[in-house]
Amino acid sequence: RYVRQLQRLQLLFSPTAADARGARQFVEEAAQDFARQHPDVVLYVSPQSGPGPAPVLRAEYLNGTVRDELIASKTSEEIVQLATKLANQSGLDIIRIRKPFHTDNPSVQGQWHPLTNKPSVLTVQGPRLQPQ
Amino acid sequence: TAPPPEKKRWLRAYLELQRLQAPPQRRSEKPNWDYHAEIQAFSHRVQENFSLELLKTAFVNPCYIESEEARRRQLGLAKDAVALQLQDNAGLAGRGLRFARAYLAQCFEGAYPELPAKGIEALVNFLTSQELVSYVAQNLSIQDLALCRDFPAPPDVLQRTFLAVIGALLESSGPERTGIFVRDFFIPQLIGKDLFEIWEVVNPMGLLLEELTKRNISAPEPRITRQLGVSTVLPVYFVGLYCDKKILAEGPGETLLAAEEEAARVALRKLYGYTENRRPWDYSKPKQGLAAEKAISSN
Repeated sequence: RYVRQLQRLQLLFSPTAADARGARQFVEEAAQDFARQHPDVVLYVSPQSGPGPAPVLRAEYLNGTVRDELIASKTSEEIVQLATKLANQSGLDIIRIRKPFHTDNPSVQGQWHPLTNKPSVLTVQGPRLQPQ
Repeated sequence: TAPPPEKKRWLRAYLELQRLQAPPQRRSEKPNWDYHAEIQAFSHRVQENFSLELLKTAFVNPCYIESEEARRRQLGLAKDAVALQLQDNAGLAGRGLRFARAYLAQCFEGAYPELPAKGIEALVNFLTSQELVSYVAQNLSIQDLALCRDFPAPPDVLQRTFLAVIGALLESSGPERTGIFVRDFFIPQLIGKDLFEIWEVVNPMGLLLEELTKRNISAPEPRITRQLGVSTVLPVYFVGLYCDKKILAEGPGETLLAAEEEAARVALRKLYGYTENRRPWDYSKPKQGLAAEKAISSN
């Protein structure tokens, strides 16, 4: 069955800073809908009053990866899109994928080795039958 | 107004070192943690309806209760305040383990009817072993929700907690849904594994002879089918097992004895139906009202 890999989203922002305006709009308008649509993600909203670091959306995944995304000067819709993107990701590191294909069954009839299609030592070659 | 005072430049390196050297803490002790919400999210994540009290009891371990009572006694509370009102998960864990073993044994008996009882027991033991169950539990975030004395939670605690969760699901939703849950989370761990990696067989030739006598087939005759590099350091022998001059199985090996043993193992795999090209497991929805499913609810 499908298990969503995103465990929780923490929205750390400041209630007075100017670049956290999108974050505040997101909290007022779209955060509840997002939480209702994704019941298996816990959404924490923690306003830190006073001057603090840039507003950040912290995503924690089931395999332990913690990913921070800056949401400074982003609109509410962009934050919604960002949150859905994080919710659909798995927690694997974002690195270059070496090949776009993978298979669990690399060979169906058995992998070739130098002795396939060679007759075994035991086969006996009889005399050629004369045509009747 | 003045810009906000930042941390002094000469202090930042020291604070960074403190942050990196701090001992690892439980997620429940870090900021932003709501236990009730996390448990609800857990039940949605595995797409199961739990009764929340049973689930909360399932996460409580006996070591946690002891350590909490010891701490309260140390802080000098009154005698009746020391005893916690929590029940631990030992009963639920026992029930979950029994159900999981019975269900998995039934699954394997249905899927591989030729496999003997020892093989099924080996498979079930592998699937309910500590490493596998604690690995599955870690990737379902049970290590954050489980209440136990030491951090990070040792594998047997995680195994007990996960089995208690299965027990709680059994109590809340019944054996059918719990069977589907066990199937969805345990059987994929067998993908890519070979039968004899899981089941240690000391004498495959003897086992093969027993199996063939059960089916009234004569004893196998080993013959060398192919050989390469006999006089070198790395020879390869292919030994085939023939019954009544018909080929049963063929296996490679470095020496003749190793090749014969490998051929016996290949023959056993073919007989038990656990080859690599067998049909993959059937994960479709089970039909309603299977009498056999009801039979395992006799716990």
